[in-house]
Order: sequence, then C-alpha cells, then structure tokens
Amino acid sequence: MKSFDLVEPATLDEAIALLDSQDRSVRAIAGGTALMLMMKTRLFQPTRLVSLRQLDGDLRGIRVNEGGGLRIGAMTSLAELEYSPLLAGTYPVMSQALRTLSNIRIRNVATLGGHLAHGDPHMDLPPILLTLGGRISAVSRRGRRWIPISDFFVGYYQTSLAKDELITAVDVPGQSPGVYCWYEKFTARSADDWPTVGVAVWYSVDSNVITEARIAVSAATERPMRIAVAEALLINAPATRQVFSKAADAAADEVQPIADLHGSASYKREMVRVHVRRALEHALNSRSNGAG
Amino acid sequence: MAAHYTESAAKVVEPPSKIKRKAPGSGQVKRSVRRLESKAKVDGSAEYIYNLSLPGMLYGKIARSSIPHGKILSIDATAALAIEGVHAVITGEDIRRLIPDPYYGPAFHDQPILALDKVRYAGEPVAVVLAADPHVAEEAADLIAVEYDPLEPVFDEVAASKAGAPIIHDRLRPAATFPDLKYLQGRSGTNVALSGRVRRGDLEKGFRESDHIFEHTFRNGKVIHAPLEPFVTLAEMNGPDGLTIHTASQSPSFVRSEVSRLLGWPENRVRVRTAFLGGGFGGKLYIKLEALVAACALLVRKPVRIALTMEEQFYTITKHGATVRLKTGAKKDGRIVAREVETWWNGGAYADIGPRVAQKSGLTSAGPYDIENIAIDSHAIYTNEPPAGALRGFGVSQVVWAYESQADIIARALKIDPLEFRRRNILREGRPHATGMLMTDVDIDAILDRLAERMEWDRPLDHGSGTIRRGRGIAIGIKACVAPTTSVAMVNIYGDGSCGICCSTVDMGQGSDTAMAQIAGELLGVSAEAIRVIHPDTDVTPYDMATLGSRSTYHMGNAVRHAAEDARAQLLRIAATALQTDIDELECRDGAVLTRSGARMSRQITPFWMLGGAGAEIEVDTETGRIRVTKLVNVGDAGSAINPDIVERQLIGAGTMQFGFTIFEEMIINEGQVVNASFADYKIPGMLDLPDDLTGELVEVPHRHGPFGAKGIGETGMFCVSPAIGNALYDAIEVRVMEMPLTPERVLRALRQAQDRPLTSD
Ligand SMILES: Cc1cc2nc3c(=O)[nH]c(=O)nc-3n(C[C@H](O)[C@H](O)[C@H](O)COP(=O)(O)OP(=O)(O)OC[C@H]3O[C@@H](n4cnc5c(N)ncnc54)[C@H](O)[C@@H]3O)c2cc1C
Repeated sequence: MKSFDLVEPATLDEAIALLDSQDRSVRAIAGGTALMLMMKTRLFQPTRLVSLRQLDGDLRGIRVNEGGGLRIGAMTSLAELEYSPLLAGTYPVMSQALRTLSNIRIRNVATLGGHLAHGDPHMDLPPILLTLGGRISAVSRRGRRWIPISDFFVGYYQTSLAKDELITAVDVPGQSPGVYCWYEKFTARSADDWPTVGVAVWYSVDSNVITEARIAVSAATERPMRIAVAEALLINAPATRQVFSKAADAAADEVQPIADLHGSASYKREMVRVHVRRALEHALNSRSNGAG
Repeated sequence: MAAHYTESAAKVVEPPSKIKRKAPGSGQVKRSVRRLESKAKVDGSAEYIYNLSLPGMLYGKIARSSIPHGKILSIDATAALAIEGVHAVITGEDIRRLIPDPYYGPAFHDQPILALDKVRYAGEPVAVVLAADPHVAEEAADLIAVEYDPLEPVFDEVAASKAGAPIIHDRLRPAATFPDLKYLQGRSGTNVALSGRVRRGDLEKGFRESDHIFEHTFRNGKVIHAPLEPFVTLAEMNGPDGLTIHTASQSPSFVRSEVSRLLGWPENRVRVRTAFLGGGFGGKLYIKLEALVAACALLVRKPVRIALTMEEQFYTITKHGATVRLKTGAKKDGRIVAREVETWWNGGAYADIGPRVAQKSGLTSAGPYDIENIAIDSHAIYTNEPPAGALRGFGVSQVVWAYESQADIIARALKIDPLEFRRRNILREGRPHATGMLMTDVDIDAILDRLAERMEWDRPLDHGSGTIRRGRGIAIGIKACVAPTTSVAMVNIYGDGSCGICCSTVDMGQGSDTAMAQIAGELLGVSAEAIRVIHPDTDVTPYDMATLGSRSTYHMGNAVRHAAEDARAQLLRIAATALQTDIDELECRDGAVLTRSGARMSRQITPFWMLGGAGAEIEVDTETGRIRVTKLVNVGDAGSAINPDIVERQLIGAGTMQFGFTIFEEMIINEGQVVNASFADYKIPGMLDLPDDLTGELVEVPHRHGPFGAKGIGETGMFCVSPAIGNALYDAIEVRVMEMPLTPERVLRALRQAQDRPLTSD
C-alpha cells in the first residue's frame, strides 16, 4: 500500500474544501468498510482520505422530518439504525433488513452515507429506499442540492454524486398506514453475505385491488432499479398469487442479470422470479407495512 | 540430571494388553476440566506469535507470481529498491547463494524457497522486500517487475495425469526422510507424484459374482483451512552461528530438522519455538514460511518477520480437490463383494504432504466395509494451482463423500434401508481390513446404534410439501491414524512439588494442554488446573513428530503418561530413601526430578482406527435449491474420553467446519487465478448458518494401548457430514449431486434437470 494523507476535518465546510472534483485518488472515508476492501485489492489507491468521523450536526442521528418521515444523518451507523425504535416504528422493513445486512462488526462502523455513496449493486438498503422514496442531500462548495433517490443509482458502482460532493443526510417520507412493504434477501452462501438477489416491494390495496405498486431489484442487476413493467401489471389487479406470479415473470424477463461469484445470470434471473413473487406474498401475509 | 532418566526411557513401551493398568485414580481423567488457557484467551494475555515483534526487525512482504506457469526471464527490483526505507530485495538467486539446493518439503524436495527459473502457480512467492516499515515493504513489493515466458498450464487433476499434459516438474525429488518413496527418485515426464495401491482378493471374480454393479464419479472442490491467525514466522540470529525461529507451526521439530538440512547445519544450532496457535487444521504443518524467513534473516543478518494477510492464505496451502471413481459390485441381498476405487488428488504445484494424503486416505478409501475383493489406486497429481496439503482428516472426507454417497445409491437401488445396508457390510472386530490389518477396538455397530437413536431412524419423517421438502441421511467413515510415530515428553516435579510438562504438542485450540495436564495429574495426584504445560521450544521440549492426524492424545498422551508414571516411581523411591537418610540422594533432591519416556508403535498401518458417523436432517427450498440443515449429529469413537466436554466440542467444531465445506465453501479458481481470495468473497459459516440442532456424540470403545483407553478424535467429526447431507438431499427431492459443495445453484440445476426443465447455462 502506498502512503497517503488521512485528514480529519472538524467541520463540513473544511471537509468539502479538502475534496477534489478532478482527482480520483482523493475521497471521503466514513466507516471505511467498503473502501478498505478496495484498497486491499489495489482497486483504489488513495493520495488523500478525508475522514468524516469528526463531523456531527446534520450528519448524525435520526429525526422526524416535516412529512412524518425520517431524516437520517449520513454518518449514522447501520447498527444505530438497526437498534433505533424510531426506525422500527416508521420503516420496520428497514429494521428487519438490517439484521442480516453483513455482520455486527461491519454494522457497528459502516454508515448510511457510505452504504449509498459506494454504489455497489449488492446492497440491501438501496432497493428498499427506492420503494419508500426519498431524497439525498448532497453538499459541495457549490452548495446543497437534493437528489431524488430514484435518480441516484446510475450504473455499476456509479451514482449521480459528484466527486467533490458529500452526502449529509437522507430524507425518507412518511408512509401512509395501509401500505404493504417487504424486503426479500436471498444469499447463496452464508446468511449474512451480500445478497445474490434483493427484492423490495411496496404497494397499497383498496378493496382488494392494488392501487399503487413499487418493485425494486438489486444484486442481480448492474444497479438497484425499479421494474416498471412488473409494477404496471399489479396496478388495478387483485392482490392474488396469480397476479404476483405474473408480475414476477415479467420482472424476470425484464432484468439483465450479471453473473458473479453469487450465481450465474440464468440462476439470478430465476431467483428474481422467485423472490419478486415471494416478496409480494410475504408483504401481504405479514401485514408488516412501511408505516409500522 | 541424566542419572534421573529412568531405564524405561529409551525402550519401546508397548503396554501389556490384557492387564488393566492401575491408576492412582485421582479423578483427573474422564473429567470435563475447563481449558487451562481459557482465562488467558479471554483477557488477551495468551501468547501468539502473531503478536510478537523483535527489536530491530525488518518486515518482509512477498511479491507473487501473476501467472500459473512460466519461465522467469528476469526480475527487476530497481523501482522497489528506489523506495525510501527499503532495506533489501531478496530473490531465489540470492537464496541459492546461501543455500545451494533451496528446495524443501516433507515428502518431496520440490518447493523452492523463492521461485527459481520458473513459476508453477499464480501466487507463488517470487521475491521478498525487506523494510523496517511494513507499508513500505508492501508498496515496494508491488513494484517488482517480473518478466515471464508463459508455459501452457494444466489445472484439472485427471487431465494433468494423462500423457501429453504439460509437465510441471522436470523430475521427481522424493525426500530422503521417507525411504518408501525412494523408488520415485529421478522419475521424469509425469505429473503423477505418486500412486498408492491396495489389492485384496480377485476383483474381476468379485465383479463376475455380483448381481449389480454401480459405477460413479464424485468430485470435491478446493477449500482452505481459514485459521483466525494467518501464517507468521520470525527469525533472528542466535549468537554468531545459531538461529532462532519463532513460528506459528504445528510441527516445530520438523521445522528444525528441515531448516538445518537446508542450511547444512547440525540441528542443535537451530531453535524453533511456538506459542498458542490461532488455529491450524493441518495448514501450519511441516514447513511453510520458516525456510524463507530464516534465509532472509541470515542474508541480512537482522531479525525478520513475515506475517501473511488473510488473503495470502489462499496462495499458501489448500485442501485437496479430488475426483473419485468408484465401482462397486453387490449381491441382491446388499452384500458388497467387490470394489474398485480410483482417486486423483489435485495437489497443486508442490507436493507438500499431498503424496502422503493420497497414500494414507487411499488405504481406507473402500470404506469401513468388509469386502473380499478390492483394488485401490490413489494418485497424487501436480497441477498449476496453489499447493494442497493436510486438512483435518487428511483426505478422508473426500473419499467418504464418494463411498457414502454411493452406499446410499446402492441401498436405494436394492430397496434396503440405508442403515440396514451398512449393518450388512461393516467391518467388525477381528475382521481384516483391505490392507490385511485386523480391526481391533472398534464397534461400528455402536456408532450405527447411536445414529439410529439420535436420528430417530424408526420414526417416519415428514417429507413436507410445497416448496420446502425435508430429508434425512446418514453416513459412516473410517480413518487410519498416522503410521507409527514418535512423541517424547518430560514431566518435571519442581522443588516445591509443583509440576510442569515439557512437550512439543502444539495447542492450537484443540485443548491438548488440558488433556496432557489431566493425564499427568491423574498419575501424580495433582489437579490438572495446577499443572503447567510448557509450550514447544526445540531447545527445551523434547521431540514430537507433529501435532496432526488426531495423534496427540494417543501418542503424546502415552508419552506424558509414561513420564508421569516414571516421575511418580522416582518420587516414591526418593522418599523411601530419604527416610534412610542416604546422603547422595539428598543432594539430588535440590534439583528437578527429570524423566524421559518414549512411545513407539508396532509395524501396523495404524495404532488405532478412527471411526465416525453423521446424520443430517435438512430442508430444501425447491425453488432456489438452498439447503437448510436442521439437525446434524456427529458420532465419534473417542476410546475413553480424557475430557468428555472437549471431545464433544471437537466433534461439533469439526462438524461445523465440514458443514461449511459441504454447503458453500469453495475456492473459485479460474485459469489458475483464485478469484475469491479473501474472506469477503470466500464465506465460512456464521452463527446464523448453523443447524438448530447440532450435536457431538461420543461412543466410547476403550482402546487397549491408549492413555487411559483414549483415542484421538480431532478429525473424526469431518468425515461423514458431507455424504449425510448429500444423502438427505436425495431423500428430500430425489436428486443426487455428485460434486461438492452443494450450493443452491448446483442443487437447483440438478433438480431442474431431473424435472426436465433445465436452467439454461450462461
Ligand atoms: C464483509 C462485508 C460484508 C458485507 N455484507 C453486506 C450485506 O450483506 N449487505 C449490504 O447491503 N452490504 C454489505 N456490505 C457492505 C457495507 O454495507 C458497506 O461496506 C458499508 O455500508 C459502507 O459504508 P462505510 O461507511 O463503511 O463506507 P466507506 O467504506 O467509508 O465508503 C464507501 C464509499 O462511499 C464514500 N462515502 C462515504 N461516506 C460518504 C458521504 N457521506 N458522502 C459521500 N461519499 C461518501 C467513500 O468515499 C467511498 O467511496 C458488506 C461489507 C463487508 C466489508
């Protein structure tokens, strides 16, 4: 490993000033869990790491926002989220997913900001956030902008964040009471592995007819993404096994799976089919909904 | 002090088999003593070599080959040497100046300390950078430029054994230490390092007399040991002409003799010491980093430390991948009358102990069955993959996977209950094994009984419906412990009556310190907790072959027992003499009472048979292929357990390890490159993966020569887990997977194939 500078600015302004829009070898470091893996394999060789550890204020903690949803600071650790009663009450689907998101050693240091900024498609929370909706606060020398979560993941390890931008917080809207939510994680190896396929679903039902629906898939695909064709099949249809199966088939046809150590493309396509259907069924059966 | 070594010391100690030795019976053995080192491990004070640093030491970082097979044209260290803080760059040629023939290995002298002339696997050490700062060494190691002329590689063990395959070693170089391998000296033009053979009866006649013949080929993937403490060695000069090596090794005595041989020094100038090991599982046997670190220290005349990263373990030693072809002839009533076994072991680029693995596990590869006609061939093969060596079970789990999967196939084909099928075929006390050796102190019926009881075999199993199907399976297995080997121990009784045991058994988590203390304590009337076990230091502790193959409880346990018996006899004599006030004796009492004892074996292939069985209940998700093991029972014959709790945990620990190997652990090697060489991508089971019901069960068949009747059990829990799960899979969904591990994708593909709606391949 080449030597590099590790700086620990005390304020957000200082941190932003230390980033560089041109130089790829200058980066922020939060928990370091993703970055260190890349450094070990020499995929990334920094000249400067800007540690966000000393930053607080907006970057830390979980608060109720105007819309009855939550604003989560980027430096909030995944373990804090896991144990937060506020999160459990507002988005139980997230609390549940956190339990098998890696292991407790990783969750203790990994942060929500790093989890999103990394852009790895094999992540558990992005598909859930894609279904819950929300926006990401990105701050740079140019000021703050809000990026809708739906515009955030643009490609394989690619986000719409500029190199000199920092995530400070994530705003997730409050969910209406009748909404059904579920996250289905499938691992091919250990239980706390990265998912082979992750599927998040969100839908509302009125007199047994689905009125609104969101389905997001991750890990099988190059980025976490909504599957519009499958969603369309649900709307105005009854919440039945046949309908769920049809939507699942459509999702399986639609995705372009990427083969990796977790499975071949054809296996992953099959797993998308199985887990989209299961997620839709489990959401209905568990009555666990996004609004708690 | 020599005067105090007793007569029995140097003699063969073959205890009379009939006479029950009378122990003082102080209640130390057969007691679940807590591990002596528990507290030290919890509070962090336990010594590990990984935590050791020496004043003025240099850190070494290894530059590794990027290609699987090729000639080295040049090594350019200019850029590395230009980095500030780099002390030296060492290559194979530098080593050759110090050691003219720098090839090492326990079975073959085939592995260069650093690559010479050519490389034989991707990841092979090519050069070492030394620097006072480990990060500087690492940065510089990346800058070493090696130019290769690539040679055609070969990876598959069966392909590598065929004529016309690219040749990996110009000629075979068996080590002189194994006289039986001498005939291989100088053989050339082959990748077959060795072929082990066993013949019994008349195979062709057996097949002719069979009503049914079954032939299948089974495969095992490559996996690794994954100890928590990676490989680490430090070496320093010891006076003007001595060397001290601190190393996380399972075999300090072997390290001493091999390093001395390489240097052309007498053994007494090399001192090797170890501490607790953070796991070994066979990976830290023989010699790994020691020759390299010793050579570096001698070249720069400074202390040197090389500690591998977790990732580098994948390029150091693995378990053997293996292909096993099994042809079995059976009568209508299920009696097996003929069996032919041929195994190809993927040994990787260097033999390490692979030829012995092939030979030893070959001996028992027809299973614990009474078969008249047997032919066994077991080939150790060189390939261009990382070297394979010993891994907890020494090849046995690979062959058990084959013969116990096939046992299930045969039983089902003949419509015989799998348990009953085994009862009709097992080897019983007094019957000859394939090798001709008679079975003694074994009771496979007892293992089957226990399995039947714990698996509630008579109760029908609910096989489930819908997408979750249930199944159960059993398997049994046999291993011959290592061939006759030597262990020596000293028991010291200090002036104040406290007691220390000097022995070179390495406590790597298996609890050997505790077991040895119990054995000595039993004889000396001292509680095990009050005894100190002195860790291996070849200057202090006497010779031991190695900590491997479940041999220590039996071999070292016997040595400690004899030493303690001796010390006790001496104490009593001294006390008696003291009463008569003999002046000479009184003089001597101020020093320690030392005694030495050796244990030696007769000319049998094994001092004891290791037998085990496993039963598994599983659930299979028929839409994903994922297996969930709900119950795993591991039965092992421990002789009479010295410490029942530790024995049970050994079975559970081994069962857990093999469970991981069975359901998802696998090194993915693509064109010779390990593509998942990290614990981010090579997953081992965590708590959430373990079976809800996971037990170790002791069957106690006292062994006539074991210390207090004990046998070794460290590996037994590994043998049978894989076929038990594979057989349960068949019971659940009637699909047979012939290749390990049983990953969800592999299972789903097999299931969909059977349903005639195959999953397309990419
Ligand atoms: C062994 C292991 C197992 C794992 N298993 C899972 C799993 O099962 N499921 C799962 O979802 N994930 C898993 N992960 C991934 C884990 O969730 C991520 O590594 C983690 O969330 C990243 O957060 P971090 O704070 O450590 O990020 P870091 O490593 O510090 O940073 C990651 C990236 O984000 C950037 N960054 C960090 N913070 C900010 C910010 N505030 N603004 C802008 N950019 C920023 C960094 O510059 C870097 O590029 C696993 C990781 C490991 C190591």
